[in-house]
Amino acid sequence: MGHEVTMAFRDSAFIESSRAEGFETFIAPLLKLQREMNPSPLNFSDVLLNLGFKDTRGVAGALRAWQSLFDLLKPDVLVAEYAPTALIAALLARIRRVTVSAGFSVPIFSDPMPDLRRWQPSDPNILRALDDRLLATVRHAAGARAQLLPDRAHALFHANAHLLCTFPEIDPFGPREGVEYLGPPADSVGGADIPWLNETAPHVFAYLKPRAARFDAVMAALATLDAEVIVAAPGLTADRATALSTPSMRVVPGAVNLDLVMQGASLCVSHAGAGVPARAMAAGVPMALLPLQLDQFLMAIRIEQTGAAVISNPEQPAPDFRAWFTDVLTEPRFREAAKRLRESHGTHDFGKAATRTAARIAEVAQR
Amino acid sequence: MARIAFAWEMGGELGHAMACNSLALAMRARGHHVAFIFRELHSLTHLPVIAAHDVFQAPVSISEGEGQPLPSSLADILLGCGYDRPQHLAGMLAAWFAIFDRWKPDLVVTDFSPTALLAARVMGLRRVTFSNGFSVPPRLTPLPAFRFDQGVNPEKLAQSEARALATVNGALARFGVAPLRALAQQLETDEDFLATFPELDSYPNRPAAGYWGPRVSFDAGADVKWPAAGGRRIAVYVKQSMRHIDTLIDALAASPHRVAAFIPDLDPARAAKLRSPARIVSERAIKLGPLLRDCDLLVSHGGNICPGALMSGVPQLVFPTQYEQFLTAHRIATLGAGAWVGPEAPVADVVAALDRLANDPSFKRAAQAYAARYPGYSPAEQQRRILNRLDEIIAKPARPSALPSAK
Repeated sequence: MGHEVTMAFRDSAFIESSRAEGFETFIAPLLKLQREMNPSPLNFSDVLLNLGFKDTRGVAGALRAWQSLFDLLKPDVLVAEYAPTALIAALLARIRRVTVSAGFSVPIFSDPMPDLRRWQPSDPNILRALDDRLLATVRHAAGARAQLLPDRAHALFHANAHLLCTFPEIDPFGPREGVEYLGPPADSVGGADIPWLNETAPHVFAYLKPRAARFDAVMAALATLDAEVIVAAPGLTADRATALSTPSMRVVPGAVNLDLVMQGASLCVSHAGAGVPARAMAAGVPMALLPLQLDQFLMAIRIEQTGAAVISNPEQPAPDFRAWFTDVLTEPRFREAAKRLRESHGTHDFGKAATRTAARIAEVAQR
Repeated sequence: MARIAFAWEMGGELGHAMACNSLALAMRARGHHVAFIFRELHSLTHLPVIAAHDVFQAPVSISEGEGQPLPSSLADILLGCGYDRPQHLAGMLAAWFAIFDRWKPDLVVTDFSPTALLAARVMGLRRVTFSNGFSVPPRLTPLPAFRFDQGVNPEKLAQSEARALATVNGALARFGVAPLRALAQQLETDEDFLATFPELDSYPNRPAAGYWGPRVSFDAGADVKWPAAGGRRIAVYVKQSMRHIDTLIDALAASPHRVAAFIPDLDPARAAKLRSPARIVSERAIKLGPLLRDCDLLVSHGGNICPGALMSGVPQLVFPTQYEQFLTAHRIATLGAGAWVGPEAPVADVVAALDRLANDPSFKRAAQAYAARYPGYSPAEQQRRILNRLDEIIAKPARPSALPSAK
């Protein structure tokens, strides 16, 4: 499209590959994390207070550094992917703002911002106090420019466009107004082509993190299923992958080609990260979800609501995984719900989602 | 007018920012344009005069310090700060390249910033170190140990050097840049402003070197006068997070001494406990220059302020929080000009040390004798010489970049 794109990442580990792809890439201003984090933040303000927004000096320094970066680069538009300080800095600098996300980093814009766990009762006064604290920190950090800030916490994170690269059914806070659902993008990293070999057995695909607490128990159960199993476990050593593999279960210590593996899959097991469930939905594959963190848990609940998935809550005792997987494989209602999802999203073109998103960003930039 | 980038990449003390700021202000007064590229942006708001500087985040490894044993040399520190894998280091280097390429410094002034030095070397930028010496080991191979209180195996030193060097060369290869022969090359500069004197150098075995004296600026901050009460005059510059903070506050509050304290972000309950007509608790950094003239004791963690105040003949009580500070504290104790209390020491040691330092005149005599060895030193004279030397370096012809493509 001919635009000049500059990146700023918080993790320097991604900078080299970004630079290798031709992007000028900076380190993003970092907030100082607290030594002790609250494991169960209540609302979006509480999440940010947990991630450094209690520290007025730190926020002030980060806003200053974003301003210097904006002065240096003179962007027409800021594209923020879970970058709240950058969004606020751009607001102060009067730069157009677009968010790109899978939903969790775009809060529900209400006053106060709601409890993240919508199923539990919450005290609006506590939520409002969290919003007020966040807003007070930001206003104090902004110093003389605080007058440019809104008087409601949620308005700090408004943007000219909120582009949600996901399906409405798996937006953790969806479906909702005020955002654009552009659908999930293709994987940036390709994976190995692992074809299904057994035409008669059910096909179970699992995408698992080896560091997950229940990894061993899940693997043991998968190995006993009356099914052909493919496990993608990026981060696993090659030796361990070989040791865990059986005649009916192939364990790959890396990413796999999701297009290929979803075709003909009977069950998809994952942690409910953004990418894999979307693929399973488009392919009409029932899911067993093992979320590890809050954003995954919220997304898992949304998928469960479609009827196409079951969830194992990490804060509750583990189920008998073999029986749990078998239930999803054999109960027709999961297949039927998954089929309905495929009817809605089976024609989604993952490869074009990024282009559509880029085009919308360009529109905002050129307004 | 030149463009001067100050880089602070490792180490966690406000002193790094304060020292850079003092020099930066002087450079700005000479018409130069200044950028701070700092690891901690939090510290900047202690420096209200930075509004005219550009400010950037220094690239740091987000897995810093994970899984590394206690360091004995700079190579060990590097291994714990992203030099364990070429991909990590290449990311940090790329980020330095990006900022240098865009901001276009004529000179990079580094304070504990080995990756900034490496990036500047690759890009042919003029560069200097400005530090107390801990981050600038003698350029030997392998880089020597700073740890002195435990035996350091020479083979282990060589292994750490080899590992870190392999990472450096692996990262450089990703950018098509020729390898280094030794880590010492990474640390090569146009000048090292070793802001200490030999007695306090972290590397007492350093071959012949120029020393510029401690880097301090005691002429900025809140104007405070010693209270007109009796007792010794004790200046306190510590962090609230120190292990013995409550013991120290209790001991000072129970003492007959006058106190001028700056403890950043001190919580109101502690401040109320310490504050009295005889004990000033400042919410801003204090202008120490006027106070040091008749100060009887400085309580600190052993950062820049500590050797700086020693030049005014002020005895020191040091609560080191990390090894670099411990080295300073140890050397001051060796001079007889102070004492230190470690974080694991019992409470009684804090009270006893405070009492001993306030009442034993030998500490003051030793501190004054040390200061008398360097009659030509003053922060202003040190800064004048540094600025002149920097102007010489800026006037040197630029070197070509070894980077095939800057973007």
